Amino acid sequence: MLAVLAVVLFFTIIFLVSKASEMSSIGKNADDEMEDRSNLQGKLLFTFLILGLLGVAYTFWTLGPRVLPASASEHGDLVDSMFNITTVVVMITFVITHIALLSFAYLFRYKKDRQAYFFPHDNRLELIWTTIPAIVFTFLVFRGIAAWDEIFDFEKLETADEVIRFEATAKQFGWILRYPGVDGEFGERIIDEEHVSPINELGVNWEDPNSHDDIYANELVLVKGKVHLAKLGAQDVLHGFYLPHFRVKMDCLPGLPTQFMFTPKYTTEEYKAILSEKKYWQQIDPETGNPKWQDFQFELACTELCGKSHFAMQKVVRVVTQEEYDAWIQGSPSYYNTVINPDGAVEVEDVEEDSIEAMDSTIVEVLAVLK
Amino acid sequence: MSEVTAHHDSAHAHGHDDHHHEESWLTKYIFSQDHKMIGKQFLMTGIFWAFVGGLLSLFFRMQLAWPNETFPILETLLGSWAEGGKLSNEFYYALVTMHGTILVFFVLTAGLSGTFSNFLIPLQIGARDMASPFMNMLSYWFFFAASLVLFMSFFVQTGPASGGWTAYPPLNGIRDIAINKGSGIGFDLWITSMSLFIVGSTLGSLNYVSTVINMRTKGMTFDKMPLLVWALTFTAVLGILAFPALLAAAGLLEFDRVLGTSFYLNNIVINGDLQAYKGGSPLIYQHLFWFLGHPEVYIIIFPAFGIVSEVLAVHAKKPIFGYKAMILSLGAILVIGFFVWAHHMFVTGMSPAIGKVFVIFTLLIAIPSAVKVFNWITTIWRGNLRFTVPMMFAIGFVSLFISGGLTGIHLGNSTIDIQLHDSYFVVAHFHIVMGVAAFFGMWAGVYQWFPKMFGRFMNETMGYIHFWGSLIGGYLVFFPMHFMAGVPRRYYAFDQFQSFNNFQDVNVFITIAAFLVMAANIVFLINFFYSIFKGRPLTEEDKNPWGSNTLEWTTPIHPGHGNWPGELPTVYRWPYDYSVNGKEVNPQNQPLAEGEHGH
Repeated sequence: MLAVLAVVLFFTIIFLVSKASEMSSIGKNADDEMEDRSNLQGKLLFTFLILGLLGVAYTFWTLGPRVLPASASEHGDLVDSMFNITTVVVMITFVITHIALLSFAYLFRYKKDRQAYFFPHDNRLELIWTTIPAIVFTFLVFRGIAAWDEIFDFEKLETADEVIRFEATAKQFGWILRYPGVDGEFGERIIDEEHVSPINELGVNWEDPNSHDDIYANELVLVKGKVHLAKLGAQDVLHGFYLPHFRVKMDCLPGLPTQFMFTPKYTTEEYKAILSEKKYWQQIDPETGNPKWQDFQFELACTELCGKSHFAMQKVVRVVTQEEYDAWIQGSPSYYNTVINPDGAVEVEDVEEDSIEAMDSTIVEVLAVLK
Repeated sequence: MSEVTAHHDSAHAHGHDDHHHEESWLTKYIFSQDHKMIGKQFLMTGIFWAFVGGLLSLFFRMQLAWPNETFPILETLLGSWAEGGKLSNEFYYALVTMHGTILVFFVLTAGLSGTFSNFLIPLQIGARDMASPFMNMLSYWFFFAASLVLFMSFFVQTGPASGGWTAYPPLNGIRDIAINKGSGIGFDLWITSMSLFIVGSTLGSLNYVSTVINMRTKGMTFDKMPLLVWALTFTAVLGILAFPALLAAAGLLEFDRVLGTSFYLNNIVINGDLQAYKGGSPLIYQHLFWFLGHPEVYIIIFPAFGIVSEVLAVHAKKPIFGYKAMILSLGAILVIGFFVWAHHMFVTGMSPAIGKVFVIFTLLIAIPSAVKVFNWITTIWRGNLRFTVPMMFAIGFVSLFISGGLTGIHLGNSTIDIQLHDSYFVVAHFHIVMGVAAFFGMWAGVYQWFPKMFGRFMNETMGYIHFWGSLIGGYLVFFPMHFMAGVPRRYYAFDQFQSFNNFQDVNVFITIAAFLVMAANIVFLINFFYSIFKGRPLTEEDKNPWGSNTLEWTTPIHPGHGNWPGELPTVYRWPYDYSVNGKEVNPQNQPLAEGEHGH
């Protein structure tokens, strides 16, 4: 109640003071009045210029270090350098045009005896400020497109010595992360009534032996220095696959596969070491009591509005060495063996060499349980 | 049209106050066919929606600033949407969606071009009314119906639309409240509202264009038309060409929702259950939507361009610099504006090869935009600048348009957009360049033409408070957001992510600044309504209070339906003859002096 009263009082005072100033100006010479007002407002605009530019510098100083740290992927350097070049061009233009606009406002504020200069056009000037932006933009476009071509040059997959493939399928509200397992081949997916079911949301064809070692991971594991191909899709609505530190972003759509190719530059541990040298990251996190860098982790997020829990589609991303990755793949149970066919029952007609091996391992497991 | 003219001429013959055809209250204020009244109706409705939209943003800004606090007042106001005083995540998305829809369509399209096209086109070209006053009235009432339907959607049980103002399928394409609560009746109402809105907007736009082409007064050739009329005409052309695409998109979307078609849907699996949709593509919707959506931002900003060009010239007492270049750049933006839509879709799964074409066109469109800025700055150079309230808003507009426009150079470059797409950098960009800047154009127009609309002045001190509060507040809200370049937009909370959770104090700061902007605008609201009834009245000596050359100030202070008693004014010169012939003001209907060459 008191708050409401205070608000009403606040606006009443503004109103009364404003009306009073209007009354007091009655009877004054209109030109003098205009000169006074324009003088005040012109000076205020100039003050705004100075304080504004200082404010901009201040935000760069204070908020700059909080922006996502340096790119953790190879193509991310292209994105960052394009961003930085553009920012330099933009900031120069921003400062020059604002100095011109607001200092002209101050310099040419109304004076009774000033005569405005009739200056309707000047083709040379027009030509200059059409050409200069055209040249700058041409440079930015060429650089940008060259980088874009590089980022989406999928032919690199053929020349790369080894490509890590994984599949990220988004749904409300989480990620199904599928790895092809030891054999390096994904099991085939068939999207029809017969294959898609609550325990087989991806519609994997379990008759395809390649599917049997496919791993459904609960974290995204990447290998330093290897080319990765993310095969992206969605179950229900649109989602966005976003790895902020890797400058990777691509929408996931139901019924329309997309992909993104990238190469991590550092393992998580190496990246932490880089951060540990930065002042901002050396600050102590009040919750854990550790320096910020110590608990750092890469993350996967959703960037396409997908419903009420859009903001919570988080997965941890871990970048490791090839050896660690191989060990992780070997040590992770496959979805087939844990959910689809957990007791290792093998249909007789399928028995082939592979299956006999599988049966052997099942027997070992059963024996272990019996013990 | 001839009826209106005849009516007014005869009224004049019997003396000015002698109304033979006394209009009833209903036909004068409600179902009016007078373009001036219709313009005011658009303005009032626009102001209403601006405050509703602004209020919604304060609600969700409170959530972003203080995600762990509870505010009992929210429960009082919003009921079950904010149980225990904390905004629910479902309603948060409804607020964001409605804020976007309301501001983009109802305020910055209808409130801006609706107001000024209606009010000023006939007055500035010397016409008695629009080509079709009846159709013009319909255009407002379709907008009003659209408003009513959208307003009602707040009161349905499952809430208003909540899948983003862009209404992408499948989130909005499947009529299932389990997927998205706002995708029930709330979204049906959204589509109904949009369809009504598009009909209204099209009726209005066709009218504006035909009026400008056919009804200019004697001597008002195209090269003597004020830039504002050029801008409003181009706005109408954009609307006529772009809005039907949205109508088509929305129609197909509703087919998918209620008839079970699959225009935008394919292989949808919900909880492991394959749905019967086959063969559609969500990208088709996005193409159709942005084919309107991008020209829409020019529909919003063109009227502001025009208003600012007029206001700067009038108050600098100096011709707008590069009149022809200004028209050409508007024309260039109009044409190129139809070839840039897919820059909203660089990382949506569209082919990267197509993306490149849109990079080129997007940066191409920045050239005419840059030309306009340089021309505005040159216009005030060596002028004699009267810092009235509309002039302050025009200067503020140029500043904001520069600040917001420049970051478009980042976003238009697809490589950088990989990182910035759907982040707070985008939010900062478009709010500054087509949100706050367009508002500044609108306010400049309101303060400039308020004396023409109501025969009274607004209070200046309150005007300056409104200006400084909005300028400083606007920058404080949106400038810091650039640094959240890696933080996704449309997040209800950031505590799920270590990567995004380091801007909490900035979010508090932004929310406080948003309250400052709202406070400044409450001052505006008080000023506006008080001044309609009690503002300082115009007198016969200052019936052209700003010393303007354009024709609207040659009418009586309170023009009747038909605008000019007696004959329409004849135009002899272009609208920018300021500070020539030893006179600061040379109205368009002032004949050329002996030996003087028209511009």
